[in-house]
Amino acid sequence: MKKYLIRRVLQIFPTLFGVSLLSFSLLYLFPGDPAEFVAQIRYGVEPSPQIVEEVRRELGLDEPFLIHYFHWLTHVLRGDFGVSWTEGEPVSKLIMQRLPASAELFFTTFAISVAFAMILGVISAVRKDKAIDHFCRIFSLLGISIPSFWLGLILIWIFSVQLHLLPAFGYGGIEHLILPVLTWSFSFMAIKTRFVRSCLLEALSQDYVVVAKAKGLRERVIVFRHALRNALIPIITYFSLSIHHLIIGSIMVEVVFSWPGLGSLLVESVFKRDFPVVQALVLISGVVFVIVNLIVDLLYAIIDPRIRFGD
Amino acid sequence: MAKRWEIEKDGKIITFELNKGIKFSDGTELKADAVKFTVEWLAKNHPLGQETFESAEVVDDYTVSIKYKEEGFFNLAKMAEFHMSIMSPKSVKPEGDPKGNFVWPIGSGCFKAVDYKEEQYAIYEPNPYWFERFGLKPKFRRFVVKFIKDEDTRVMALKGGQVDAISDFIHGGSDYTPRNQLSVLESMGFKVFKRNIPLTWIIAFNYKKEPFNDVKLRKAVDLAINRDDVIKIFDKQVLPAKTLFIEDAPGIKEAKAQGVIYEFKPDEAKRIVEENGYKGLSVDMIVDKNQSDQILVAQLIQQKLRDIGINVKLEILETGAYRQRRDAGEYDMRLYYIGGTDRRFYLRMFWRFYPGQKWSAYVSDRTGELCKKILKEFDEKKRKQYLVEFYKAIHDEHGVVPLYFDIMTAVTAKNVVADYYHVFHYPNGIPFGEPLFYYVGVRA
Repeated sequence: MKKYLIRRVLQIFPTLFGVSLLSFSLLYLFPGDPAEFVAQIRYGVEPSPQIVEEVRRELGLDEPFLIHYFHWLTHVLRGDFGVSWTEGEPVSKLIMQRLPASAELFFTTFAISVAFAMILGVISAVRKDKAIDHFCRIFSLLGISIPSFWLGLILIWIFSVQLHLLPAFGYGGIEHLILPVLTWSFSFMAIKTRFVRSCLLEALSQDYVVVAKAKGLRERVIVFRHALRNALIPIITYFSLSIHHLIIGSIMVEVVFSWPGLGSLLVESVFKRDFPVVQALVLISGVVFVIVNLIVDLLYAIIDPRIRFGD
Repeated sequence: MAKRWEIEKDGKIITFELNKGIKFSDGTELKADAVKFTVEWLAKNHPLGQETFESAEVVDDYTVSIKYKEEGFFNLAKMAEFHMSIMSPKSVKPEGDPKGNFVWPIGSGCFKAVDYKEEQYAIYEPNPYWFERFGLKPKFRRFVVKFIKDEDTRVMALKGGQVDAISDFIHGGSDYTPRNQLSVLESMGFKVFKRNIPLTWIIAFNYKKEPFNDVKLRKAVDLAINRDDVIKIFDKQVLPAKTLFIEDAPGIKEAKAQGVIYEFKPDEAKRIVEENGYKGLSVDMIVDKNQSDQILVAQLIQQKLRDIGINVKLEILETGAYRQRRDAGEYDMRLYYIGGTDRRFYLRMFWRFYPGQKWSAYVSDRTGELCKKILKEFDEKKRKQYLVEFYKAIHDEHGVVPLYFDIMTAVTAKNVVADYYHVFHYPNGIPFGEPLFYYVGVRA
């Protein structure tokens, strides 16, 4: 177990290196001259070639790729993501300013989606091919198919314009949270409902379920004590990995509702070519994903000994 | 702000005498030292200041002499640009230091900044000194500007009563109330304030290379475009550009009287294409994906040019990719804008038509020389005469194809007390491009 633990921890370093390299390379992969974008945003006028060159020098964009990457990485390792090119503020400060709104939106959506996905997924699997299953499947299909921005606008039209019940935009009290959470939860839970359903159906088709049925156990006991518990491993993994949505998952919802979270910060920064912010957000998202993945893998090994021995 | 000014050395030095009694929003008086400080701060911190100012000297408390890098009228025109607004030396830290960091906006305009959060909101209160100066009583206690990125959400926030007004933002591209929503809003009882501004959307050619280095082909494209069809994309809320700028722009009426008009003559366009062997020609048109209305305009152009035998290959690109292609000159046609709000008219003339500018729309020996003369000439009559010649030259050379005139709008709810005059004019009667909200109020 100890050897497995050490090996898995060591394995994440090349991955993290790859993530950092990819995050940094975005600067060079995006089309257009970032110095020109930044100069225009910073000064609000169409900059002359001289000004663009000055900005390029100031941002260190005239340095060779590897030197620039090395500078960036050494700072990042010390927790310094640099200063935003357009706001002039430390990137970490900008991220911390937006994190509470993102966390509020994500965790509320996550909690609601997981709860409903579990309920609907289980009902759908247990009542397979019955009317309730068809309803749940259509509901999931709609959730996957309807674009968030369209659903968001429809909800604004109903609840803000027609009924005057909820605000159409902004960040504030719980009333501001309802429509964005509803919009995001719809697609978020749709995919998860399908996943719960298929995992549970697979578990219900196993031999031990047949044995349990033959023993005369009640359906509720078979589903919840045996099948669902076994199906929970992939479900927990899948749900845990959706943590990366904290940063990038809510972009459309944040834009439609003017929600000041990390998703809209990422979009704004991409449009402004504010690369220190883009790089930091992509890197953090990647690192969070890798670490959660590692934790889930380690938990797997604890729950299921076959994994570490098989490995 | 200035009572009078004296021009020396062909405009290389302009000495301004300030009106007395103008106060900043913090109550301190705006005197010559604040102008000197602003000039020096801009010369150190802003590209426009860097390329414009050499130095400033306080003559007395209310007189300041500004020395410019170049001579000419352009210096005076640039002073109308909002970046050049005179700010209090207390706006920076250390106070009054031209190298200081900007910390808080303290100006002499109608609003006093109270609070703001980047990309979320800005809160203002009336600047009592400004209202006192114009003998007005403010109709509002607080003015809150909220940032709503999505245009449809903005409209619904107005319809749902969460905001009292929505406004366009046009500075280098546009973010505006969807034009097809304006008449709908009006029919619902909202008040729509609309002003034509000297900002014209055009077709810009890559005129330095084939095939659009041929004026005959540019003429054919010009004659093939029905501007009355273009404005249908905008629910006819904008005007078709049959002149280079709106009639209120300097020199346009005079140029029009001399026959400088852009017409729709598809048969002649077709004949030119056929006679010059351009039938079946394929050209590339690049469009910025961010400007969704421009995609529709480009599709219409594609259709109109197909009618005269030219195939347009549309390439709808992400902004960065679009700029890359533009800068590399890898395109034949693109959509672009010339002019701007009234105060930016001459500045954009410099950016779009002055020789050697990266952001140019069209420059030839003739138009370049005329542009230089326009930006140098202090005498208004002579300047207008050069402008008329300039419009004529652009028209003769078919340098650009004007499509439609952009507008600036503000839409207000029923309970908002506002009138057109106050929305688009200063209290002294000077028209202003962007909507001003100094004299609006909201009924309780």
